[in-house]
Amino acid sequence: MGSYVLRRLLQSVVVIVGVTLVTFLALQAGGDPTYLFVSERASLEEIEAARRALGFDRPLHEQYLSYVGDLTRGDFGQSLSYRQPAMEIVLEALPATIELAIFSMFIAIVVAIPLGILSAINRGTAWDGSITTFAMFGQSIPNFWMGIMMILFFGLYLRWFPISGHVPFLTPLLAGDVGVAFANLPRTLYHLILPGIAVGTYSLARNTRLIRSSLLEVLEQDYVRTARSKGLSERRVLIHHAMRNAWLPVVTIIGLEFGFLLGGVVVVETVFSYPGIGRLLFAAINQRDIPLVQAGVTLLAGVFILLNLLVDLVYVRLDPRMKLSEGRA
Amino acid sequence: MRRRTHGGGLTAAWLLGMVLALTGCSQQSEDTIVVGLSADITTFEPGMISSRDNDNIAQHIFSSLFSLSPDGDHLPDLAHTMEISDDGTAYVYTLREGLTCHDGEALTAEDAAYTFNRIGDPENRFTGNIPGFVYTSIGFQGAVALDDLRVQVNLARKNPIAFGLLTEVHIHCKDSYEEMTLDEAASNPIGSGPYRLASWTRGSEVVLEKVRDPGSFQRIVWRIIPEASTRTAELIAGNVDIITNVVPEQMDAINASGRAEVQVVSGTRRMYLGFNLSDASRQMPGGDAIQDPRVRRALQYAVDVPTICRQLLSTECDRATGLVNPPNDHPGLTPYPYDPPTAERLLDEAGWPRGEDGTRFAIRFQAGRGRYVNDVNVVLAITQYLEDVGLDVELDLLEWASVYTPLLRERSMGPLFFLGTGGGLWSPIYDMTDLADVDSGTNYTHWDDERWFSRWADLAEAGTPEETRAIVDEMLQVFYDDGPWLHMYFQPDFYGVSNRIEWTARRDERVHLFEARLR
Repeated sequence: MGSYVLRRLLQSVVVIVGVTLVTFLALQAGGDPTYLFVSERASLEEIEAARRALGFDRPLHEQYLSYVGDLTRGDFGQSLSYRQPAMEIVLEALPATIELAIFSMFIAIVVAIPLGILSAINRGTAWDGSITTFAMFGQSIPNFWMGIMMILFFGLYLRWFPISGHVPFLTPLLAGDVGVAFANLPRTLYHLILPGIAVGTYSLARNTRLIRSSLLEVLEQDYVRTARSKGLSERRVLIHHAMRNAWLPVVTIIGLEFGFLLGGVVVVETVFSYPGIGRLLFAAINQRDIPLVQAGVTLLAGVFILLNLLVDLVYVRLDPRMKLSEGRA
Repeated sequence: MRRRTHGGGLTAAWLLGMVLALTGCSQQSEDTIVVGLSADITTFEPGMISSRDNDNIAQHIFSSLFSLSPDGDHLPDLAHTMEISDDGTAYVYTLREGLTCHDGEALTAEDAAYTFNRIGDPENRFTGNIPGFVYTSIGFQGAVALDDLRVQVNLARKNPIAFGLLTEVHIHCKDSYEEMTLDEAASNPIGSGPYRLASWTRGSEVVLEKVRDPGSFQRIVWRIIPEASTRTAELIAGNVDIITNVVPEQMDAINASGRAEVQVVSGTRRMYLGFNLSDASRQMPGGDAIQDPRVRRALQYAVDVPTICRQLLSTECDRATGLVNPPNDHPGLTPYPYDPPTAERLLDEAGWPRGEDGTRFAIRFQAGRGRYVNDVNVVLAITQYLEDVGLDVELDLLEWASVYTPLLRERSMGPLFFLGTGGGLWSPIYDMTDLADVDSGTNYTHWDDERWFSRWADLAEAGTPEETRAIVDEMLQVFYDDGPWLHMYFQPDFYGVSNRIEWTARRDERVHLFEARLR
């Protein structure tokens, strides 16, 4: 187990370096960002001076190697627009996004499980049809559009929920202000409801369909029929026999889901003025703040890789037939 | 079973209670004003500020020696008097007595000099508007404290607009800033203005607390709301008092809400079509034709600017006659009318008749997208107007940040390009400095008319305001007749203002809340 984890972590380093290279090249492909950091009336001499100050006067390979060299020392560089350590800014925004991702995942899992089961065990009925239709809508509606519609209806028309903003829970908690964190919690959840639904609906719909199809497949298996013939209750058959195997594909998707949610909240965070990593990256890309984008993307890639590893480990735990050294792991 | 049902009921009741209780929390406090901004704030370092939104907040935290009124008049602020040396290269300001910074430190002439010099210190590598534009424009040489109350700012040469540009410099104290690193100073401003920074949640909000007059509100909350429809929803819901950059299409929704209304002001940003007269542009379609002033003049008649304003910007506007904002513009000039027959006649006379296919000549037209109000539709409308008089327009709509801006800064756009540049109300010369020199970085058109550029020396030597005005008007006449701009409009600015407060939007994009108050 230990050597497997170590090997995976070493592979992750290669992936991270690849991510930094691709990000660097993609951002550089947009041209010299110096122009965005000088006054619109700046002369060519002033632009050149700013270029030198920002370090964009050096050849590309030199800029990249210098960046990677700093990276090995844990230095992600300074944000060009904030003039602060880039990773510090990203880490400041990360808790808000984690809160949103966890809340969205909670919705996507807690609602999807009963809906998926209900749909599967009532296959071909009105229940099944309604849930499947709902799932199709959930996967078809763009999350930003849904966000705007929810703002207009629940925020502006009914005034049930806040239209935008964020009340931090994890930030004070991590800072040791437990009292503040839990005092904030009701308002944190209150502010998370609309963006959480906007982000989580797609995953909810996908998970519902996945659980349904996975369960339907398992319910057809011989061992389920055997369990029923032994006289076990339908509830026991479902929970103790069918669901255990139906979980395997679901766990894989749900595990990776968190990583996708972390990266996929960009537009929704912008619509809801939610100060998370997605909005930060969106603004940084527009401002061509290369160090900030690189720090954010590298962090997200790291989280994604870590989650992938965790999923593999959980997978083995759920299905002892899988070995860490072979198969998908 | 019963117990579970009971628990579910309790949960539902708790959730409902929470929603109802929290819904009540959104009422605005009477001592707080909330402003919704479209762009994020990146720094409170005076030497690094380069965006208007950022500067609008900073102006509440830092005061200047003198400030500008909404009409562009100079008003005493931290200083009460100012004298200029005979040769025009030394500005001596006398500070008011008893000034302090937010940490209680006394603010003296030494602090003011330190502020000026710190921003100009190359070791700090600041790239904001003050070191990047103001200092280079005025030839800043340094500042010295003459005594406790008098600070002298030295310039390399006489400059008729230095006084106005110096109002941009935000003053702070010396000791506190010497103790802080640059990183610390960027997020912990210790200013000299009426408000101090209470909290800054990056990407979310900035909260200011009042420390002295002027200012009717104890707290100002600047919320960052990038999405226009969300800003509008927050305004209508009563959670925000002022929003900037209202999208014209949402004006009716705001005005019909009964809770807020839109204030439209003619801003100071000058929108125009530039004719790039460079040799490189000559090689592109249309580059040759526009060298002829008669062609440029003909095209002035081809575009219906008032209709563009009315239909695409949802407001009435007067067409510009030049590059100077009213009321400092040339009073004797009238805007070119929309008159396609005249445009066609002048093009015929200039030697560009319609060919067999109905076109006169092809021209490349470049524009960035997403930078100005409804810019894509405006550009498409202009294209149609030009095609109506026989031009074959090759329109390039380019991504602003990575494609259009570099072209602009390298002054290598196509023969025709769409642009807006910031202006001011406090001096016609400030607006004219876009074209202060043939090789100036902001002379995107490469225009080199001697009748314009030779007059800058005369302006510098002008002894009285009347002399200055006469020269300005002569230059503006040349610009009107044979200039390198197809005159469009001054970009309207749209602010959503809650009925709860009384506040008047300014033309110069500054959001000053000192005079804002509850109705």
